[in-house]
Amino acid sequence: MNKLTLGQRSALYGLVCVTVVYSFFPIYWMIISSFRDDNSLYANFSLLPGPFTLTNYEVLLELTDYPTWFVNSILVAFGTVCITLVMSVLIAYSVTRLQFRGKMAVVGVMLYAYMFPPLLLAIPLFSLFVKLGLADTRLSLMISHCTITLPLGVWLLWGFFKQIPLDVEEAAMVDGCSRLRAFVLVVLPLTLPGVLTVAIFSFLLSWTDYTFALVMIGTDSLKTLPAGLDTMVGMYELRWGELMAGSTLIALPLLVMFMFLSRYFIHGLSAGALKG
Amino acid sequence: MRGERVLYSIFSVAIALTALLILYPAYHALELSFQDLDSFISKPVWIGFGNYADVLAMPEFWNALGRGLVFSGTTIALQIVLGIGFAMLLDTAIPAKPLVRGITVLPYLLPTIIVALTFQWMLDSTVGVFTQFVRLFGYSYIPWGESGTVAMTVVIVLSVWIWTPFVTLAFLAGLQAVPGELYEAARVDGASAWQRFWHITMPQLRPVLTVVLLLRAIWMFNKFDIIWLTTRGGPLQATEHLPILAYRKTFEMYEVGQGAAVSAISFVILSVLILFYFYFFPLDEKE
Amino acid sequence: MSKAKDFKSKRLSADLAGTTGGGSSRRTVIKGIGAAAGAAAIGLHAPFVHAAEKTIRFLNGEPSRESVRAMRFAGAQYEKETGIKVQMDTIPAGKAFEKVQASIKSGRPYDIATLIFVGDVLILADEKKLVPINDLIKKYDWGPRILFPVKGNNYWYPYDYNLCWINCRQDLYDAKGLKAPQNWDGMMSNLDALQGTGENQLPHGIVHPIGSNGATNYTAFGYMWANGVELFDDNWNVVLDSPEMAAKVGEYLDFMSAMTKYMPPAPAQAGWANLVGDFQTDKISHTPGTGRLIDTMNVRMPKRAANVGTFLFPSKGGDKFAVNHGYDGWVVLDTAMTDEALKFLEWFSDEHLINFLHTSPVHYQPTRLDIYEDPRWQAHPDLEQFKHITEMQKQVLSDKDIIIRSIDTEGPEVDVRAGKVFRSYALPEMLQNKMVRNMSNAECIKTAADKIRATVAG
Repeated sequence: MNKLTLGQRSALYGLVCVTVVYSFFPIYWMIISSFRDDNSLYANFSLLPGPFTLTNYEVLLELTDYPTWFVNSILVAFGTVCITLVMSVLIAYSVTRLQFRGKMAVVGVMLYAYMFPPLLLAIPLFSLFVKLGLADTRLSLMISHCTITLPLGVWLLWGFFKQIPLDVEEAAMVDGCSRLRAFVLVVLPLTLPGVLTVAIFSFLLSWTDYTFALVMIGTDSLKTLPAGLDTMVGMYELRWGELMAGSTLIALPLLVMFMFLSRYFIHGLSAGALKG
Repeated sequence: MRGERVLYSIFSVAIALTALLILYPAYHALELSFQDLDSFISKPVWIGFGNYADVLAMPEFWNALGRGLVFSGTTIALQIVLGIGFAMLLDTAIPAKPLVRGITVLPYLLPTIIVALTFQWMLDSTVGVFTQFVRLFGYSYIPWGESGTVAMTVVIVLSVWIWTPFVTLAFLAGLQAVPGELYEAARVDGASAWQRFWHITMPQLRPVLTVVLLLRAIWMFNKFDIIWLTTRGGPLQATEHLPILAYRKTFEMYEVGQGAAVSAISFVILSVLILFYFYFFPLDEKE
Repeated sequence: MSKAKDFKSKRLSADLAGTTGGGSSRRTVIKGIGAAAGAAAIGLHAPFVHAAEKTIRFLNGEPSRESVRAMRFAGAQYEKETGIKVQMDTIPAGKAFEKVQASIKSGRPYDIATLIFVGDVLILADEKKLVPINDLIKKYDWGPRILFPVKGNNYWYPYDYNLCWINCRQDLYDAKGLKAPQNWDGMMSNLDALQGTGENQLPHGIVHPIGSNGATNYTAFGYMWANGVELFDDNWNVVLDSPEMAAKVGEYLDFMSAMTKYMPPAPAQAGWANLVGDFQTDKISHTPGTGRLIDTMNVRMPKRAANVGTFLFPSKGGDKFAVNHGYDGWVVLDTAMTDEALKFLEWFSDEHLINFLHTSPVHYQPTRLDIYEDPRWQAHPDLEQFKHITEMQKQVLSDKDIIIRSIDTEGPEVDVRAGKVFRSYALPEMLQNKMVRNMSNAECIKTAADKIRATVAG
């Protein structure tokens, strides 16, 4: 690499700063606003952090349904991840190992389904849930989330499984392993990064989803965090402090996961794992 | 091979469940669009293409379609320009690169509700941080609640902020695949930075550009949550595009059949784009 | 804040901690799976009938923390006494009607719901979604102009009067020697006197939402009613653009437009939160509203609450005054749990209703005359402290010269049509056309009148 002149270097650093401020300022503002009291939120404006108070968080956790929504979000996300992992591993593995006509159509349909916008699926799904008597339940939301995460899982894992040569498991099976044991002991460990990526993104899609939650859930105590937080908007009192505290708490698990698992994140993101 | 039968049966069950989960709702959406329904519990009446005729005769539909094109066209163009810019920046030798890359990707991970709320707070007409900022230039506030153009600009800016990282990452991967020798050769030939970008980088990035363009088009055209959370389609329908029209028809006016017809039309438009995608990028089992 | 109140809220939260909260999640999921299996057995298209489960679903429209707590407390008590669960959902009152509609259209209607406009009650009664509650209503002695029977049936259990007037900064009025305005000129000169950067002045005079929302319908048209405007004649013909009315409406539009210079920027963006928030944070000296403002301030800043003055919407010439209707009430829907819901409402109507009214004592002006006499209700210290306001509330009810109108009760009789006009936001749009798009009065009025005609006809 050739040396940059001082001017070029400062221009480059300037651009980096602009990029960082552009990407991070709203997040920064959300976090510092969540720690401010009403006086500093509405009267004394300052760009710097502080004054620091936990009032917003206390109010949020003690006097709203936030803890209930949190539990709901965890339940729904966990359920979605489990269903997705089991189903997508089975389907993706079968598609790569079985020989039958139209198997590429299966993969094609998955990719096609993955490109569906949530709202287009939400309307008919809700209608079906009403008919089944499942409307307004967490189960219905979990199933809805699987309509995005399952195609994603199959699509990503198909990419992983097809790279693993058949000889690996055949060798194991010659040694007396059953197909199942060969799969669990030999193939699965090799695709662990893929499985982990699918788990992370299924969690992420379920945790951040607003559209399905808006359509599927009506009862307050069954809402997940994004939909629940939305119901706090438009109340009589100005509650920006609490809303920012609520937002920060939703973002927190994502930021922590991102810090520790960024390799998987970047890999998944590059493969288009977050639709949108 | 041994165990094939088991594998086949597992596969059949899994695929049947998936079909039930994805294809059946898609079929049901079409079914709804041919029915007259004023709620989800009323008895459906088959009316053929009645809903489509009604929807296509509504000026709201055409307005919404137009707005959707403006919204998706603008956001895609801006995302691509910005995304290429960020990718080039991240591809050079900058300090703390992983950190900067991580921060650039962050907006993409955030739930839309958070982005919508945070920007609304920043745009608050009396104490928002953007409001304080524009006051330095003599404006009193940003009228995104009353001016249709400003509201549209705001949802576009938000969408660009959230979804540009997708483009950045895609181009970053593309750039890293460009062989360094090409640049060396060009430099020896005395090509300027702009010439190098235009004659080497861009041609190398063309396949990435096609993917990104198609995927962005597929996803931006049907974006619902960010607009709904920020403006609810207002003011005076200024940001109402097809998905919002479909939602309002279905869940506010309870013209369920018409809502489904609007969705079905979006679905057809979407399918054309997806078929293009499959045409350009056929599935390859070997790779 | 009194010690008694402190004590009560602590007691409430302690009780709540023991009786509500999560724990049912797993059961619900398992039940859901069972339901899916059952439904699959019946066949996909057979509507699945919910298993008979003793839960009353109640849609509360009062989202303030204290009110939510009181409602949940009542629900928990009821469950303790009868074993019947009360599922309490809360939504801002302005969105309650939509939510009730959604619950009906998706096959799981609420059993009891809050509605804040009589028009909404009429729409649902018309669709046969509500059950009459005549027996319950007969038990009590009601205040004037609060029951809206539909063809002899009462569907609504109103719980407060919720009248809208104008609140002002009495401390600034006193400091400047101002009196409550008697007409529009007086109003303008008061706004002018209090706006500025000097001593006893604030940056703006008044906030008036003008967007297409409930806040505008509720708070912006008091001056117009005072000025003698009516929307319909005795046969439901729209008279808004008749020469006589158009002149009065035009005067009103000019007045609102002239007041713009006393409003904070972006009135089309303003909502409930600004009406209260901007007043509390010293941005405006006047705000249209109810006793809620006083109650909210009394919790956070009791000294300031004592400085709130009130007056009614004046007319241009000062010969008339008006307040805007905003009654809130509960309806019982026609569901499998209707009988249980009626029992609950009757049970609630005693001690727990008073508890609930006390969560915003000045705001929740009782609808039942027996409550005014009830020592349990009178015991709240705020009612004594804000006697000047509560006395005014009572006077409005008995003074025949004070106009009480609202969009949703316009017309010769209580009817669905007025409710539709409310939802059409034709009148807020008239304000936007005048104040944002600078259209001429005649054009604004004509557009609004035509929209009302179309709404009434459709």
